[in-house]
Amino acid sequence: MLKSNNHFSLKALVAAVSATVALGVVALPTLSHADETACSPFTPLIKGQEDLVYVWTLGVEGVGDGSDKLVTVDVRPGSKTFGKVINSLSVGGRGEAHHMGFSDDRRYMWAGALDSNKMFVFDIGTDPSKPKLINTITDIVEKTGYVGPHTFYALPGRMMIQALSNTKDHGGVTGIAIYSNDGKYISKHDMPTTQLGGAGVTGDGYGYDLGINPQKNVLLTSSFTGWNNYMMDFGKMVKDPDAMKHFGNTMAIWNLKTMEPMKVFDVPGAPLEIRWSLKKGDNWAVTATALTSKLYVIKQDNKGEWQSYDVGTIGNPADIPLPVDISITADGKGLWANTMLEGMTRFYDFSNPMKPKEVYSKKIGSQVNMVSQSWDGKRVYFTTSLLANWDKKGKDDEQFLKMYKWNGKKLTHVFTIDFYKEKLGRAHHMKFQALNLNTLQPLAATQSQDLEKLSLALTGPKEK
Amino acid sequence: MSRQSAYIAWALRLPLRGGGFFSMLLALALTGAGMACAAESHSSREITEQAGVIMDFEPSPAGSYKLYNIKDAPDGKVLDTDGKARSLSEFTGDKVTLLSFIYSSCADPGGCPFAYLVFHTLQNRLEAHPEFKHSVRLVSLSFDPRRDTPEVLKLYAGDSGKDDRGVQWDFLTTTSLHDLIPILDAYGQDVYFDVDPVTRKPLGTLSHVLKVFLIDRHHVIREIYTTAYLSPDVVYNDILTLLMEEGIKLP
Repeated sequence: MLKSNNHFSLKALVAAVSATVALGVVALPTLSHADETACSPFTPLIKGQEDLVYVWTLGVEGVGDGSDKLVTVDVRPGSKTFGKVINSLSVGGRGEAHHMGFSDDRRYMWAGALDSNKMFVFDIGTDPSKPKLINTITDIVEKTGYVGPHTFYALPGRMMIQALSNTKDHGGVTGIAIYSNDGKYISKHDMPTTQLGGAGVTGDGYGYDLGINPQKNVLLTSSFTGWNNYMMDFGKMVKDPDAMKHFGNTMAIWNLKTMEPMKVFDVPGAPLEIRWSLKKGDNWAVTATALTSKLYVIKQDNKGEWQSYDVGTIGNPADIPLPVDISITADGKGLWANTMLEGMTRFYDFSNPMKPKEVYSKKIGSQVNMVSQSWDGKRVYFTTSLLANWDKKGKDDEQFLKMYKWNGKKLTHVFTIDFYKEKLGRAHHMKFQALNLNTLQPLAATQSQDLEKLSLALTGPKEK
Repeated sequence: MSRQSAYIAWALRLPLRGGGFFSMLLALALTGAGMACAAESHSSREITEQAGVIMDFEPSPAGSYKLYNIKDAPDGKVLDTDGKARSLSEFTGDKVTLLSFIYSSCADPGGCPFAYLVFHTLQNRLEAHPEFKHSVRLVSLSFDPRRDTPEVLKLYAGDSGKDDRGVQWDFLTTTSLHDLIPILDAYGQDVYFDVDPVTRKPLGTLSHVLKVFLIDRHHVIREIYTTAYLSPDVVYNDILTLLMEEGIKLP
């Protein structure tokens, strides 16, 4: 257990009191607090220094215990274990570990496996430095017919899960499942397969990521490919013309309350990660397309109609650099974009989202997938694995977590953890956590709030 | 501040300035500010904006969507404002219920004061329709039993909690943390005591992320709101949606 903090929960208080009585000692429990700008708007955020980085790691045969695992890294400045792995929790077996997401209270982490279809729930609140596996959910296929639980995105009291595939043909037609925080299935929502919204675009039914803008009551979804492709050897797949036809080419915007898709957009080439600008009043989101190497912005026009815009390219699309993860700054004015096959990251000036400008680039390694920045943008973390069968082979199969500092002009390397040398596996998705959960802040807290303003609503009509 | 409100603030051990929205409400009430009329004069959007939340959309019409069963509403032991021991389940069934966890000295503009304002607005709006009297209820349950005694909550409730209101608003507390904690855990409502970093003793302040629960007549949670999605218009339409499910004729 890491150093204690200034706060504790009621639940923890009882635990502490019980422990004190039982043990005759005084012991206070430790509490806690991702790519912070990618979190659900219903999840409280770390707006200061993150203490821990969790890495959802794919097991590799012959490497350590060979199992998928949740790895915990200490990133507290000045800590004796700064930049070191302080915990590793195997879930037993390999199931294509992929992405994860916080519950709405950030006390639990859900993590998915794209092949086994298992969803693991970790307690990261009782002692964030030592996550504990408390539930393994195995019924998503049975309940929904969906395969490949990918994105985990909190709703109040629930978890929204974007799947990638289906049981019928293991292709890309899929949907969204919603579970309660207790791990009980609630509902399923198929991705659109018809023309919606008057743009003349027919939904392909594919899914990948999702993101909510509660200010607009909208949910935005993107599209990738099904189990047949994401479990295939990458080299083999790109040489198979039929396989390459089975990628998503659309995005869709939904009414969040009704969970009905409203409009389908033509966004060719597998639009992947979705990031909403979190700047107050902004009404746009950005994505990058894996196969066509484009940046697209989904934005309301001056009539309030949602539209998609091709706003630029990443690298040389002809080289197929394979853009993967992106990370937007908290003010919506900057964007990191990684390209897997180049092992590069690029930073774009997004001050004008319709005309982003590449202002910086750096090679991170032989391959790079995920990028996560702190809320203040000063710390940037990178990991390497995309999919077990899509990662590079041989010596180019580097697997690491790297941390850099960003001063607005250049990245400065701080530490590297070699996930093969540490006998861990393939380093994939990252999320941050704080030791003191009470330091977390709701997204809305970024906006101007004060008691005097609120009191106006009770004291009399607002002055015009 | 009037002598009477100053006395009440003292009795509640609340700071007279900046220490709690409750004290401000009391002061307003005692100095004759017409809260109900004032709140009614503001649109749902204005209310959320004054809490720092933008909700720039027209809510979906009531009945045009489905509210799924999220989970059964947990039960527990509570006290009403007369100090009578009750089961929480008495307040989460038979009517469509909107439940929030609050504490009276909360000063977080995006927390309890915002919930109070939303509830207050909804109570007034629902009361415009007498047919809702036996169909809808509001419940505020304190997570600060040490300070929020039944007597304090009765003061906090003011006119809103009176029995003759067109729409019932119940204010509840618990006898102790022992009774409270299982309820908070079951609802997934986090509350933190701030403690002195040196002595490790509680400082008396609490923090939490606001959650509001919409519960149907059969004790099932059908929607959960946080500050980011707590709009009086949205909640109102959700309440109507549940009433429509029950075949209740709407105005």
